Amino acid sequence: MLEALLFAMLSGVAVGCALGVVFHRNPVHCALLLVGVLLSLSGIFIMLHAQFVAALQVIIYAGAIMVLFLFVVMLLNVKGETPLLTPGAAKGFGFFFALIIFVEILWTVLSPGGQEGAPSEAMPLPRDFGSPAALGRLLYTTWLYPFEITSILLLVAVVGAVVLAKRKFF
Amino acid sequence: MDVAFIIEALVKIHIVLGFVLLGVPLIVWMERKVLGHMQDRIGPQRVGPFGLLQTIADGIKLFFKEDLVPAKADKVVFAIAPAISVVTALTAATVIPFGDMVHLFGRDIPLRIADVNIAILFLLGATSMGVYGVVLGGWASNSKYPLLGGLRASAQMISYELAMGVALVPVILMTGSLSLTQIGRAQEHMWFVVPQIVAFTIYVICAVAETNRAPFDLAEAETELVAGFHTEFSSMRFALYYLSEYANMMVVSAVAITCFLGAWYGPFLPGPVWFLIKLSLFLFFYVWLRATFPRLRYDQLMAFGWKVLLPVALLNLAVTAVVLVLKG
Repeated sequence: MLEALLFAMLSGVAVGCALGVVFHRNPVHCALLLVGVLLSLSGIFIMLHAQFVAALQVIIYAGAIMVLFLFVVMLLNVKGETPLLTPGAAKGFGFFFALIIFVEILWTVLSPGGQEGAPSEAMPLPRDFGSPAALGRLLYTTWLYPFEITSILLLVAVVGAVVLAKRKFF
Repeated sequence: MDVAFIIEALVKIHIVLGFVLLGVPLIVWMERKVLGHMQDRIGPQRVGPFGLLQTIADGIKLFFKEDLVPAKADKVVFAIAPAISVVTALTAATVIPFGDMVHLFGRDIPLRIADVNIAILFLLGATSMGVYGVVLGGWASNSKYPLLGGLRASAQMISYELAMGVALVPVILMTGSLSLTQIGRAQEHMWFVVPQIVAFTIYVICAVAETNRAPFDLAEAETELVAGFHTEFSSMRFALYYLSEYANMMVVSAVAITCFLGAWYGPFLPGPVWFLIKLSLFLFFYVWLRATFPRLRYDQLMAFGWKVLLPVALLNLAVTAVVLVLKG
């Protein structure tokens, strides 16, 4: 009962804020609403017994990346929107991609494979589920290759950013 | 979830939050008095004994001041920005252990509001959200100086948060736990400041920068930016910023004590008393810093954070990890 209530609150806030991100005109307000989305998602992570992921979500996304977003928005002081596409084309594209994602999610949820992995009520979680130790073990054993590839990708991105920013010296 | 549990939680919440909220006027008084004497003045002395009630009087005065909102300010964000500052500071205070267990009314009561097993991450998360209060306050004022102050604050806090986090990792490695209670208990025989003097130094420097205090108070440098991010704030909104600054000081000092200075352990006296003594000394140290060091220049601040603190913290972390592995 309590769980359902909490989930309804958190997911309601998340969806509401997400809609706000899309519909709000002011970029700073959009960024703030995005922080709201991230915070309520972190609440949902806690309900899923993934406290470590929840904490990382707040520290990294809400606490660092969004602050950088805000920093850039404030520094550029974007007044109005400078649209890349005409409003009609933008709506068309948006609708198209939203449809694709919706179909994909529906596909995943309804396919038998999607339900197989979900733990049922009856199955108790392992004792250290969601703890930093368990997550670290998984990252360095089962998911070692994706993990290392992601790190290299991030390193490349950092080096690329520095090169692009310092271009005038080359 | 029985009734006793709820009562216990409520009582602890009231004690801790009451302590923080009542502690702030005391710290402000202490700061003004100590600064006064360090600068060869006498500081406040008219209201109450030794001027003790001066801050209360100031608080009441702020409460009755007119609440000004700049005409072109973003009204909503202007209203929530100071609230964010205070809420994050008080949230962080909930996981700090101020003692071990006490046995009262036939129950074992842990002396902290919430015993979260990822307390350190919770704390870092809460303090990293505190940046928003400053940044948004600066932006929402729609005025030049506050905006500059907010921008400075955002860059500064992100830079120093990194080194601060890395400085805490060796302590986590030595304890093998993210829980502040476990970290505190691990220091019963030796304070972590002894093997981790480097990490402690880095943490203290970063803590001063995180709380926007002199000599790192670039976000409100009065010689350049009037009052920085809170220039346009008056009345209680200004008071909230003030409150959050001092509450944040208490929180980062409490973390320093828990992680490096032996938490609540000490001879003869009970745990909470020792904790209080250490906290007072640490806050005195904060004021001492302010009276001693001139403010850094902004580029010095950034270079110091990225080119000195972060590499040293990383190196210290690597050395600690290697030593721990070699010791088995």
